[in-house]
Order: sequence, then C-alpha cells, then structure tokens
Amino acid sequence: MTANKNMRILIVDDFSTMRRIIKNLLNDLGYTNTAEADDGSSALTALAQGSFDFVVTDWNMPGMTGIELLKAIRADDRFKTLPVLMVTAEAKREQIIEAAQNGVNGYIIKPFTAQTLEEKLGKIFERLGAAA
Amino acid sequence: MAAVMEAGSARAALVERLQHALDALEQGDEAGWRRELDTIAAWRTQPMMQGLGRLARELAQTLGELPPTHGAGDLDDACARLDHVVAMTEQASHKTLDLAEQCRELADQLKATTLSGEQTRVVDQIRAGLSEMALAQSYQDLTGQIIRRVAGIVRRVHEGFGELGLPPPEKKKDDGLAGPAVAGLDKNAFSQDDADDLLSGLGL
Repeated sequence: MTANKNMRILIVDDFSTMRRIIKNLLNDLGYTNTAEADDGSSALTALAQGSFDFVVTDWNMPGMTGIELLKAIRADDRFKTLPVLMVTAEAKREQIIEAAQNGVNGYIIKPFTAQTLEEKLGKIFERLGAAA
Repeated sequence: MAAVMEAGSARAALVERLQHALDALEQGDEAGWRRELDTIAAWRTQPMMQGLGRLARELAQTLGELPPTHGAGDLDDACARLDHVVAMTEQASHKTLDLAEQCRELADQLKATTLSGEQTRVVDQIRAGLSEMALAQSYQDLTGQIIRRVAGIVRRVHEGFGELGLPPPEKKKDDGLAGPAVAGLDKNAFSQDDADDLLSGLGL
C-alpha cells in the first residue's frame, strides 16, 4: 500500500506548539489534509464527525488520555482498524507494552526527529499494505 | 460554652503541671522539673509543628507529584525537573535562533543577486519574519528566569523544613504517568531504539 497523500490525519496533543510541529512535519512529508484535537474526548468527537484515515496522538493529556483514546478507538466498530501512531514523552517499557497490547500501530518517543516520523509512518503503511 | 470549658480544663492542666514542676524544683529533682517544663513547651509548639508538617506534606504533594527517583526527595526531584525544563527550552531556543540566523544570511545572499521588485519585496518579508521568530524566542529567557526563581524558593523552603526535622511525608502510591524522561534522573526510561526493539519483539 502506498500512502495516499490526501489521507485525512487527526493530530491529538494538548500542547498547541506540538500540534503545530507535527502538522508542519506532516506537511513537509506531503500530508496536508490534517485536523487537530486537544485531548481524547475532542478527538473522538472529531472522529465521529469527519472521515479520518489516520490518528497521531500524545499519551498524557488532561481529560481523556491517549491510551484511553486508543482503547475507545479499538472498541468502536467504526474505527477499530484506524491506524494510530502514538507520539509521546512516556518512555517506560510498561507503557510501550500497554500501548502495543491495546493495538497501537506505531510508537514515537518525544523529542523526536522528522526522520523518525517519516520512518514510522512508512513502516505503518508497509505493514497495513502487507496485511491488506 | 464548650470553648470556655476547654479553656478551663487547659488552665487546670497547666496549673497541675506547674505545681508538679514547682514540687520537683523544691525537692531538687532537676530531671523532674525539666520534664514538666518540656511538656508545657510542647503544648505551645504542637499546633505549630502540626501546621508546618501539614504544609510540608502539601508542598511535597503539589510540587512532588512526580515519579520518585532514587536518593532524592520529591522536592529535590521537582527542582531537578524544573532545571531540566530550563535547559531543554534553552537548547531548543538556541537551535531556532541559529537556524533563523542562517536563513537571514541566505536571504541576504539572495538580495545581493539581481532580483525583480516583487522578488525583493518577498525576500524582505521573509527576512522580517525570521527576525520576528528570533524575537519570539525571548520567551525562553523570561520563562527560564521565572522557573529558576521558583526552584530557588522551593529549595530554600525544603531546606527550612529539613532543619525543623519534621516527619517525612507519606509516600503516595505511584500510579501516575512518568512524563518526559529526565537525563540522570529516570534510569529506566526507553530510547526510540529500545522501544523499536521491544515493539518488534511484540510483532509490531
């Protein structure tokens, strides 16, 4: 599966600066169809309204966290196959395992580089292509 | 009415203690009268010590709601994290400033070539934008100063509490998220490579 550059990506982070940085990096990679949410619940609202193809989410956010968002996405028939990339400062082994067990598609530890984001996106699309 | 009764009984207790102290003094029982006076002194300082103990606990909880590190109290840990915040934002700001300067030089090189009026106008706008970006980085200096000041206050308060010899605050159950790893403090944090190894082991 080659990545469709028009895919609609939801960026979820409580820090507007980080949302902006991720958005700019995605734009540089050719993904310009993005929207933003500042926590898990507003992300779920956005997901229910728009047809998103991909979610990039932080973990630690006030309100609904990223892991809760991931669980809610996987529990919902409409979104359960939606790719989720976690971009987070949480760097503990147990947390990475928890995210993997809950069906995360990729895990990036902040601070990260543009190259890491590109690599992880590529890997996710490659795996999804292989599975399709 | 209850307050009057309480004041009355406190007064009676005080009279009793003083009487015992006087008896001990008259009998040449130095340890005895010292003990009675210490008890009276403790009555006076107990509410203050309780208040300080509560304050110390609250402060530790407010500022120390962070994962525990080895060999450092919550407040030391909080201060170390604040210092780390300053260092990280400083580093990021410097990088931004370096890049803005490099880009301004490139814009200057462009202006030195033959450009149309429209192109010159665009280059000028780019240069102005880069200057604004550099200016906006001054936030780091200001926030860094505020953070350092707060860390200084917390350290002094912590030292003050340490000198009072208050009982250590109870350790809370550590069930929160760890947040960003701090170099030298979080010894079991994962790097991206560690995470990749772990994920590939899990079939991702």
